[in-house]
Amino acid sequence: MVNLNERIKNVMGAVFEIDPKMITDTASPGDVEKWDSLRHMNLVLALEDEFKVRFPDEVTENLISLKLIELSLNELLPKKD
Amino acid sequence: MNELKYTEILTKNRELGKSLTGPVYQIAVLSNIVVNQLSDILEFELRRQGINAKVVFGEYNNIVQDSSRFKDSNAVILFWEAANLTEGLQSQAESMDASSLSALIEHTQNEIELVLNNLQHVPLVLFNTFSSLLFTANELKDGKFSLLSKKLKSNMADRIASHQLPIDLDKIIAKVGLGASTDFRQYQSSKALYSIEFLKTYVDTVTPAFRAVTGMGRKVLVLDCDNTLWGGILGEDGENGIQIGDGTRSGKVFREIQHILRGFLKQGILLALCSKNNPEDVNHILSGHSDMVLTDSDIVAKKVNWNDKVTNLRELANELNLGLESFVFIDDSQFEIGLVEKELPQVKCIKVPEVLSNYPEVLRSLEREFFSFNRTAEDADKTKMYQQEWKRNSESTKFTSTEDYLRSLNLQINVQWNEAVLTPRAAQLTQKTNQFNFTTKRYTEGDIQRMINDKNYLVASFSVNDKYGDYGITGLLISKLNGSMANIDTFLMSCRVIGRNIEIVFFDYVIEKLKSVGIKDIESEYIPTAKNQQVATFYSSRGLNADPEKGKKFVYRINLKDYKFSDINYIGIAHNG
Repeated sequence: MVNLNERIKNVMGAVFEIDPKMITDTASPGDVEKWDSLRHMNLVLALEDEFKVRFPDEVTENLISLKLIELSLNELLPKKD
Repeated sequence: MNELKYTEILTKNRELGKSLTGPVYQIAVLSNIVVNQLSDILEFELRRQGINAKVVFGEYNNIVQDSSRFKDSNAVILFWEAANLTEGLQSQAESMDASSLSALIEHTQNEIELVLNNLQHVPLVLFNTFSSLLFTANELKDGKFSLLSKKLKSNMADRIASHQLPIDLDKIIAKVGLGASTDFRQYQSSKALYSIEFLKTYVDTVTPAFRAVTGMGRKVLVLDCDNTLWGGILGEDGENGIQIGDGTRSGKVFREIQHILRGFLKQGILLALCSKNNPEDVNHILSGHSDMVLTDSDIVAKKVNWNDKVTNLRELANELNLGLESFVFIDDSQFEIGLVEKELPQVKCIKVPEVLSNYPEVLRSLEREFFSFNRTAEDADKTKMYQQEWKRNSESTKFTSTEDYLRSLNLQINVQWNEAVLTPRAAQLTQKTNQFNFTTKRYTEGDIQRMINDKNYLVASFSVNDKYGDYGITGLLISKLNGSMANIDTFLMSCRVIGRNIEIVFFDYVIEKLKSVGIKDIESEYIPTAKNQQVATFYSSRGLNADPEKGKKFVYRINLKDYKFSDINYIGIAHNG
């Protein structure tokens, strides 16, 4: 099973058209060329579709680095034993 | 497409974008709403079906100006959202006074008129109908916003031309569900409204229109028999044991299935059988089982034998002279479906649902796969025409030479020059014909009409008949005259009449005609596509001289005094001018 971090990188890679391996934990709109407001919307929708979750309104704006996405998803995903 | 996640679609679309070659099919999306996720979803679906689609967006809320900027696109989609006609209209309409509302309606109607006019030469325009469904909750009474949307919707339906297609958003929203269709989180800030699920369903809904307009429309529904057309196994249960008719619950379902199929026939959809059974048993049922709705004359062709279904489908395609991409196949066996999907990915395969009561709904929803523009007189009699073709092809084996066989057919060509009533059929031919088509230029009815009225053009369409019947209008040649020179702009022939040397006799006749109006030289072109290789050598075989090759098209010329007429004497020709 691919871990959460890698699954997020795959989604980000697909949305921003970059190699997932090049994405660092601190990647943000400042250093990813295609991370503009339109693509940010695509990122949110792609993450929700991938993980079958729905981010609360105020969270969508804060999903601006790999670490923050991972934290938010951990809160929404069912806890493992 | 709902089985695929958006991330997968993004990734696969990029891969397809790199591997597809051939001319780009440009689709412009003009909108006053943000639907940017549509681009990858639509491109992906069309690309995986072989259409090299590229989606471009107009500027946000700039539909009128953009309709002129994108008028050379292959297709245009209009996402014109009633709620965004003015800022916050979905709520503000209720407190607007009557005169401002009617001014807004009139203003929008004028804009619609202008946009449709600007887009009149675009071969495919999908115009989403105005809808208030996402914003109105009162089922007991329509508010002002609902009334405004309804008014605009009916006005648009009145004005839209035959090659422009209204897409009923209400139906798509109903299918997805009101809640699942929308994503209001981005609506206020970014003017995005629709969910990914809605956009996937939207694309599934409109794809058949793109297939139809690019010559890949579905035409034939191939059915298995046992547990597909009737309940039970004919070979085991016998004629009285199968379930069809009112006696049993499943019999009622299959009877409804056959009624739906009868309705399909009237739409010009061809029905064929492909079943592992004894042919005599199936023929007997078709010729007189009292509970059957379908009879032998409804079936265009049959492959009832013990061969594998892939071979049978290939043979059906050959004998009907249709591409496998025009086939849809229904079977109750996952094995057969799996085999056909693997070997013939261009065939759309549908399995009869496990829960039989869902079967009629599944079949009904298939109807849109067979979407075709302007239904013409030819469509209504399609089954008969293809049946004749099937009989001809079985008979052709009896003759020792093709020449003998053709001679026995009493072929006759009837040419109509500049005939206005044939405009819809002529336009349809340019839209649909891919194989015998030298330049594959697609024209609308308006284009054809203009050429007929222009004295610098000669438009010849022809029908063909033989001893088995009439093939209808099956060929078109458009030449543009320039002094003593004629350019063959379009020359095409439906695949129904290929392989009979009709093109040679017709071309000879056109040369005679051009000579008689003072033409001394002709120039013609062959523009290769993935499907028209069969005409590659025609012009040189008729003695025309090829220019040195340059770019992606081949140009041929001849001085008409050097043209050698063929000696084919078994095809008659008649004309109106």
